Amino acid sequence: MTSIETSAAARATRAAASKGDADAFEAAVRPHYAKLVRRLVLVVGDERDAEDIAQDAYLKAYRSWDRFDGADVRAWLYTIALRLAFNHLRGRRRWLAAIGRVEPRTWSDPSDPDLWGALRALDARTRSALLLNIVDGYTQAEIATMLSVPEGTVASWISRGRAALRRDLRRDR
Amino acid sequence: MHDDDLDLSTRLAALEMRVPATAQPPALPGQGRRRRFALSMAMAPALVLALVATTAAGAVVAVNLAQGRPGIQNPGQPMAGVHLECMTPPEAAEVLAAHGFTNVVWQVEAGAAVAPDGGKGSSTSVQQSTPPAHGYVVPGSILDDGSVIMVVDQRVGATGVGDCFGQPMP
Repeated sequence: MTSIETSAAARATRAAASKGDADAFEAAVRPHYAKLVRRLVLVVGDERDAEDIAQDAYLKAYRSWDRFDGADVRAWLYTIALRLAFNHLRGRRRWLAAIGRVEPRTWSDPSDPDLWGALRALDARTRSALLLNIVDGYTQAEIATMLSVPEGTVASWISRGRAALRRDLRRDR
Repeated sequence: MHDDDLDLSTRLAALEMRVPATAQPPALPGQGRRRRFALSMAMAPALVLALVATTAAGAVVAVNLAQGRPGIQNPGQPMAGVHLECMTPPEAAEVLAAHGFTNVVWQVEAGAAVAPDGGKGSSTSVQQSTPPAHGYVVPGSILDDGSVIMVVDQRVGATGVGDCFGQPMP
């Protein structure tokens, strides 16, 4: 077999492996997609933006699938998505400030408007840390790794966020 | 856990579950073939009818053919299993020459595989004696005189064939 034939056979093998990877990726990541979109709506407040970010995160995760350590696929996907969401919010704030518009709030929750209002009043990172801790059960150390901040910062966000929610919800009663 | 915390946890989880999330994840690169197949399965009844009609018409054509021309990579053919479709055109030319096929006509397809409205695209076809620098190699046929026709697909939106379907265009 010539070196070209060997190389073509290797490319064919890599292509087949890549198709297998796509199947493995979908099996592992797809079940978390709907929940990811929901979480992103709570973080960025806008359904379309959340869907766009979720799609970007999904494709980005697929491109880095070979670097995933295999431990917690949901944490890994959320890490990618939340970083994209924070970047998106930073860019959106600059843009809205530049054109002098008020930030849009597309999604609203008629069932529990007080809670949604109180949650929205927190900044995006505090909101994310709080949800990761209270809803998903991640520890402060795990959240610190996911959001690339010191553990003490996460502890502070969660403590202040929790206190702010309690205060706002009591005030609304 | 404090009662307030439990209440907060329950309400936050419920809040999140009320967020509508009907969007599907995007198609992964290289999944076009499987999705088209899924669409075909959904259209199975129509396809069966089309298949019957095509088979009948094909039988008429086949009996009028003087001689079939098997694909150069088909089982039993000289280049079976060589993965020409995973090579660049110059690489494929070199390998063909090493197997004794020096008289090769390269048929280069250019244009677009898909029209802007999503329909069938249009393409132009040019035959030349030297391999083009790039494009998907689509292994062709051996003619009666021993020469070979190799097709190279350079159309925008082309996907390649065989084991290297969906890979970047060489």
